[in-house]
Amino acid sequence: MAFLARIGAPVRGFLEFLGDQAHLVWRTLRSGLALRAGQLAVVGGQTKLQIRFTGLDAGVLVAGTALLLGAVTLIQAFSQLSGLGAENYIGTLMVVIILRELGPLLTAVLVIGRSATAIAAELGTMQLNGEVDALAAHGVDPYRYLLLPRWAGVLVAIFALVVCFDAAALGGGFLVARLKYGITWGFFMESVRQALSNLDFTATLLKVFFFSGAITFHACHFGLRVRRSQTEVPQAVTKTVVSALVAVFVIDGLLAACFYF
Amino acid sequence: MLQVRGLACDLPDGRPLVEGLDLDLPPGRNLLVAGAGGTGRGHLLKVLAGTERPRAGEVTIAGIPVWPGEGALGLAGRVRMGFAFPAGGLLSNLSLADNVVLPLRFLGLPRGEVDRRTGEALARLGLEPLAGLRPHAVSAAARKHANLARVLALDPELILLDGPLEGLDATDRGLVLDLISGWALDSGRTLLLAMEEADLPLGAEFQTLDLRAPHPPSEPS
Repeated sequence: MAFLARIGAPVRGFLEFLGDQAHLVWRTLRSGLALRAGQLAVVGGQTKLQIRFTGLDAGVLVAGTALLLGAVTLIQAFSQLSGLGAENYIGTLMVVIILRELGPLLTAVLVIGRSATAIAAELGTMQLNGEVDALAAHGVDPYRYLLLPRWAGVLVAIFALVVCFDAAALGGGFLVARLKYGITWGFFMESVRQALSNLDFTATLLKVFFFSGAITFHACHFGLRVRRSQTEVPQAVTKTVVSALVAVFVIDGLLAACFYF
Repeated sequence: MLQVRGLACDLPDGRPLVEGLDLDLPPGRNLLVAGAGGTGRGHLLKVLAGTERPRAGEVTIAGIPVWPGEGALGLAGRVRMGFAFPAGGLLSNLSLADNVVLPLRFLGLPRGEVDRRTGEALARLGLEPLAGLRPHAVSAAARKHANLARVLALDPELILLDGPLEGLDATDRGLVLDLISGWALDSGRTLLLAMEEADLPLGAEFQTLDLRAPHPPSEPS
């Protein structure tokens, strides 16, 4: 029995976690649908703040990372494929490696490192200070005031950051292609355009949607579970990072399997 | 206004706080949760307000089930409730004035009405010079006053005050006692007060729930 209990405990814990995630999503959606006109400005203001922290403030970091990644990807590809007409595969390489996979995935990883940690720490501290209780006690629905703007803000920010990442990575790749083979901008973009399909746009949009949900609700889940002491806050942050990373990679794998397998 | 049936709840450290508590508080009546600091009177107030879940039992506010139920969330937009916390409870990223404004804006009040109520509440509690400061930048007494200003501006039907006089000097105590007396004597409000019995405002009738004594609560004194 002890052995079975040892096996069952983590399974039960995981199912409880999934149930809690579903509850958070449901309550947040419900609170969003019941949003009244007078509350729109307050929630909108919070959403704008979240977009700024998650999107705008991370723009340079994401663009810089993407620029280097785009350049390094083509440097490595050219070094391995030189003599095999690597320049003919530029578009395919950029689309398959960067736009299809690494763009959304690395953007999500950066957002987890910058924003999911911040959300978990902020909500954990608010719990300890009794701020979440105070909101609920005064008729301010915490799902509406805290979770909904964070979800909406992270969703918009990740979309913008993925676009920014892809553009910067293409820029980095073009620089290498230009310097190595003297390829023109027109040829480079035409090559990318031919390799791109509507499926790639759909998959990217779905990734943005699911990544933003996973990141936000993992952070909110662990942040709001802080109850008793300050030491729970860094624990919540660590759990958020690990859990959100696993979720993002699992979602990425599932979507890749659905769209490209 | 408040009905409690068979309530059982524990303190955060696991010690039992109340067991099988029954309580009826009609609208306009007042309840004193008496007991020294550390007896869990504040925790009981949170359970009654729907921000802490009890172990067992039922809590109903204005006919709306709080426990079992969604807690305080179920009351949003249906019952105006104000809760002054003994410490904390103010959003640390908002100024004192914005802390007062937030519930009013969620209530859907027009901008002019929000400004009027906020201004009056801050002035009554002597917080006008500090209105633009965040909670960390003001004294503990000012944070307590801001909690009360938020309650005052909300004009609630149900008011819960946890240790409203703790840590205040004589002047501030007078100001707060005056405010509490007004609420206690107002037949349109139900007041739940967690503090020392000796500090009770004069003239108002209170049912007493003594956490050191067996329940149920005594008759009005």
